Amino acid sequence: MKVVDVVCPFCGCLCDDLVVEVCDEKVVKVENGCTLASEKFLGDHRLQSPILREGFGWREIGYEEAISVAADILLAADLPLLYGWSGTHGEAQSVGVHLAEVLGGVIDNTSTVCHGPSILAIQEVGHPGCTLGQVKNRADVVVYWGANAIEAHPRHMSRYTTFTQGFFVKDAHLARTVIVVDTRRTETAEIADEFVQVEAGYDYEILSALRAIVRGREDVISGAVGGVAKTQLIRVAEICKRAKFGAIFFGLGLTMSAGKHKNIRNAIELVEELNRHTKWTISPMRGHWNVYGSNEVFTWISGYPFAVDFSRGIAFYNPGETTSVDILRRGECDACLVVGSDPGAHLPRACAAHLAKIPTIQLDPHVNATTHLATLQIPVAVSGIDAEGTAYRMDGVPIRVQKLVETKFPDDTEVLSAIYRRVREVKGQ
Amino acid sequence: MRVTLVARPRAKPSLPVEAESIIPQNFLRGTDLTVYEGNKERRLEELFFITVEGPAVSPDQVEVVLMGATGRVKRVGEYMNAGRIVIEGDIGMHCGNFMSGGEIVIKSNADAWLGREMRGGRITCMGSTSHNCGAGYRGEKRGMRGGTIEIFGGAGDFAGEYLAGGEVRIHGSCGDMAGIEMRGGLLVIGGTVTRPCGNMTAGTAVVLGHVNRMLPTFQYQGVNDEVWDGKRLKMDVWEGDVANRGKGRLLVAVGK
Repeated sequence: MKVVDVVCPFCGCLCDDLVVEVCDEKVVKVENGCTLASEKFLGDHRLQSPILREGFGWREIGYEEAISVAADILLAADLPLLYGWSGTHGEAQSVGVHLAEVLGGVIDNTSTVCHGPSILAIQEVGHPGCTLGQVKNRADVVVYWGANAIEAHPRHMSRYTTFTQGFFVKDAHLARTVIVVDTRRTETAEIADEFVQVEAGYDYEILSALRAIVRGREDVISGAVGGVAKTQLIRVAEICKRAKFGAIFFGLGLTMSAGKHKNIRNAIELVEELNRHTKWTISPMRGHWNVYGSNEVFTWISGYPFAVDFSRGIAFYNPGETTSVDILRRGECDACLVVGSDPGAHLPRACAAHLAKIPTIQLDPHVNATTHLATLQIPVAVSGIDAEGTAYRMDGVPIRVQKLVETKFPDDTEVLSAIYRRVREVKGQ
Repeated sequence: MRVTLVARPRAKPSLPVEAESIIPQNFLRGTDLTVYEGNKERRLEELFFITVEGPAVSPDQVEVVLMGATGRVKRVGEYMNAGRIVIEGDIGMHCGNFMSGGEIVIKSNADAWLGREMRGGRITCMGSTSHNCGAGYRGEKRGMRGGTIEIFGGAGDFAGEYLAGGEVRIHGSCGDMAGIEMRGGLLVIGGTVTRPCGNMTAGTAVVLGHVNRMLPTFQYQGVNDEVWDGKRLKMDVWEGDVANRGKGRLLVAVGK
């Protein structure tokens, strides 16, 4: 059976035009998807039942026992950390926030290691953003800054920018000017009309220089900034000012290099300066397929998009203090629940070492690096393949992901709801 | 009145303690105060051995002395308006948040957000401090607005971020982006600093040591004779941040 208009649950593009062939409750073929999508749909190696660490080995247990053990671990903690959430659907994220509140824990999503700085900058100066549809139909100048779209978001350029026709941009490949700013000549840089190669960590200086040039103060800028010649900076500023509609997309090359949120703030303020001349927007290239959703869900329930600390019964937020990397590095939390992420593979070594010291529970369909640090792992259905739910695309558009095959596994919402009910029962609520 | 708080050994010493109740004015009503250890509310005496000596009728007559392992105790001195707090060891984040009067003396190191959005009074740190010293809360438009912070060691990144008034003196070196978004006040750095004063609109920053990576959007104004700490120095004067239409002053000792 062929299923059309399938949404891909891999990256923040949430491409919704895939055709997936299903046979005997298994995905056997994927059309229209990129390599990453195909791997996600066709990959297997699922953990078959919950496993509990005993001594140096594992014991297979039932779901009922797993839920009871998980609830007991979280209830016994003085500061539980609930981390991940970007690889699951919004309904499960919602239960997660309520669980954190009833436990008095800290809930944080993977923004803490990706676009958290973007959120901090937006909280300082706002977000002149738009949907990807606007970019597709209007943008004649597109900037990729610290983002290698071809390898990290392989269909971004063919669905929304360089290689797709827009309502007002008919001959897209020729009509759109692409500027790539990066520290090295990436695959994306190879197809750029203008490649700006910056010295690593000098993005802030380049952005400041561009802001000064756009407002007519090139007189203060020296001959080269951060490895970029002043003549190139002036040329880039002119291209930007002449655009009918410009769009900046930025990635972790900007959010995670020196200066962090101040880089993003500077980029937003460059857009603000360009908007005195023409129309410009700026958008983050979100990584996990539903990381934007975790920011949305956390915000509509707690008021904060990530790093929310409920330890005193009210929501408190202060990245650098309540972010999971900082909490784990300082060894503050005494239990951890991981959902929809693999911190064992992605967080710094000191954080992984602390996860191994404390009781760590993981909800994940597969064995991964975090499994080796965990006390308990509960396998769940994969959202977008054998579970349905709501996700948010990188531009904030909510899209429903489908259930394509029947499964024996419960989804994240079911497992988390069961833990939540158990916790409330023990607390007498 | 002298109140001595000696930290008791804790089963989980890494757990953060939130102790905004530790301010001089609260001890006028006794020591029946609470703090949070993780998600548990504890009585102050569960976490500290408490000794009270002498009387006091107003907060300025109260001195609170913290001893022992206090490096994870946060928010000490928050909203303090008078009196004195002496910390014999390290202190956790947010020490002196929003304080408007009195004095805090830290004999060792202070964690991040020391003197966040402080309005008045004085903080002296004999050791070093971490990031965001004298800064504002996330998304806040103004950091420290009055008072004095003096650090005898160094500071982390974003020292004096959004500084709007008062004085921050750091005798050692700073990390990245000290004085970023400055709107007023005085920031003095004795040692080395990297990329100071980005986006500043007003105020004065003085670097007596070396500047790594001066931002490209500061306009050179020439050399001035200036007197700092009783010494006459030749200083390069820069104005900016031009990217932000700023009129702040950045003074850097010549030849450093």
